[in-house]
Amino acid sequence: MPAGKKFLLRMIGQTAAIVLAAVILGLTVNHVRPDGLSLVGDWSPEARITSAAGDSLIIPFEEAKGQHDSGRALFLDARSEVWFEMGHIKGAKNLPPNQIDRLFPQVLGDTPKDRLIVAYCDGEHCELSRDLALALLERGFTKVRVLVNGWTLWREAGLPVEEKRP
Amino acid sequence: MKWAGVAIILLRLFLGGLFIYASVDKIFNPAAFAEIIYNYRILSGALINIAAIVLPWLELILGLLLLAGRFMPGAILIGTTLLFFFWTALLFNLARGLDIHCGCFSTQSTEQGSMLWYTFRDTAFLGTGIALFILVWRRSKKQITLETT
Repeated sequence: MPAGKKFLLRMIGQTAAIVLAAVILGLTVNHVRPDGLSLVGDWSPEARITSAAGDSLIIPFEEAKGQHDSGRALFLDARSEVWFEMGHIKGAKNLPPNQIDRLFPQVLGDTPKDRLIVAYCDGEHCELSRDLALALLERGFTKVRVLVNGWTLWREAGLPVEEKRP
Repeated sequence: MKWAGVAIILLRLFLGGLFIYASVDKIFNPAAFAEIIYNYRILSGALINIAAIVLPWLELILGLLLLAGRFMPGAILIGTTLLFFFWTALLFNLARGLDIHCGCFSTQSTEQGSMLWYTFRDTAFLGTGIALFILVWRRSKKQITLETT
């Protein structure tokens, strides 16, 4: 057998053996450890956007709309300032979760802890509103909800927005 | 060639250490690592947990084999392939403007760095992997030729 072919076969055999070992070891340890993961996770927004206690934080679109109309809810845009400036839900304040330490006093400093807060960003899988909601719960706010895909849904529904004219 | 032997040892020690270092935090924090894989938005939901369960152990085994200099052809093929995947994933997210936590060596989101830096760093690692792959390939072919003649 030519040396190249023999090397190739050896390489493929070893690769298969190493991968197999990692799969067996990984699955075994995962099975035994108390914080093991389920083999197939649920990564849908419904499963992901929950409080530490496991309660869903998602606010249905119609409910969010009602709370906006009545003025009871404070809307927080979790996207970065650039996107916020380009356009946001009318009356919303801007609070990106990675800026929360700096911006918290001026954005939420005098907001009662039991005020309804609706956090939103853009896209089904945007994590910012979830991160912001969890951070606010940690800071003692009691009624924090997430409007999934908020900006897109809001605009498509023709609801009040504040946009920068180009 | 003597320099090739020295280069193989240095490169495999470097990459071996790198893979072991990268695996440890992920092994201790599988849930956080799954979150990072999710954030890359590349794997479908059904595959995320399996990847988070197996990948760190693959890195650890790989790293140990590279340090020990055993199973080299297989270890370096997987190592280079992994580095290539990581590199592609970073490049892909850099291109679509998604700013994500690298999750390369730590599952903490406090890991500092920009996407550009991660990608640059990973390019260097990938280059190291490919260089080692070529060196091992050459040497092993020669050895096999000696064994069989």
